[in-house]
Amino acid sequence: MSTAATTSKATHPTSPLAASRKFKAFATTFSISGPVIYCVIQYLNYPLFTYWPAVHRFVWGFGAASAKDGPNMLWYGWSVTTILIASMFGIVAMIIPEHITKKIPLWLVWLLPILAIPYVVYSLMPWWILAARQ
Amino acid sequence: MSGIISTYTFWTIWLFVHLILALGLLGAITHQAMAVALPVRKPAAGIITRFRAVSAAGYATAVCFLYVLTFFVGSFIYTQYRVVIRIPLEDAHFYKALGFFDFKEHVATLGLVLLPAYWYFWKNAQNPEYDNARKGVTLVLAVMVWFLFIVGHVLNNTRGFAS
Repeated sequence: MSTAATTSKATHPTSPLAASRKFKAFATTFSISGPVIYCVIQYLNYPLFTYWPAVHRFVWGFGAASAKDGPNMLWYGWSVTTILIASMFGIVAMIIPEHITKKIPLWLVWLLPILAIPYVVYSLMPWWILAARQ
Repeated sequence: MSGIISTYTFWTIWLFVHLILALGLLGAITHQAMAVALPVRKPAAGIITRFRAVSAAGYATAVCFLYVLTFFVGSFIYTQYRVVIRIPLEDAHFYKALGFFDFKEHVATLGLVLLPAYWYFWKNAQNPEYDNARKGVTLVLAVMVWFLFIVGHVLNNTRGFAS
């Protein structure tokens, strides 16, 4: 079913970015690799930085919560690490020949975030266990 | 800022900004998702048909812009949540709510990384090569945005619900 015919009237790529084959390679590779990288980074716990909001403290890499500094926040670090690595993958995809990047299945863009959800739910098991014990 | 408005008011304003941006995003992505899931082939008659009959491609840049803005405002107020909201919720044993909030933060990042491909597919909506991928990524993004919105809304009311 063509959604293009029914949901848009004139949507020829108006910007050079949307018409660029290199941007297509970057965007699809970034979006395909992003969910996988995020899950791996979160599993290995490799945040680019850690932030302690109670004392506005910031350190590179992982830092544990402490009685002195209060709770730590790792999510910012995980997200930024993911964006940087996915960007590197995207840049590599821009460099390699188009006949190779053309073979990347586009359905991975929507399938991989769906597949990431069971892992994410599993990674939150400590919360579900605590909730179940109540 | 504390001299002009109270800390409580300051964070309430930002939470409200987050809500308004989220509502805009929710409306735009829902229109688009309905348009790709149930495309209209005849002139619009009822309100549901007109809801589906929008020029969906025109929403792509707005959706990306609103998603990124909502993400950044949410990231900003998250610091306050971590110190002022989460600790009392832990003490009150709202573990399910806390688990769902952590789930929300992960989904927010998973949605963020979809945006470049989503934008590209919609900006090339005349190309049938991208039809299935565009439909898939739009529906996944719409489900994510609804999930983020509902979890955020329920969490905001958690202590209200329980008291």
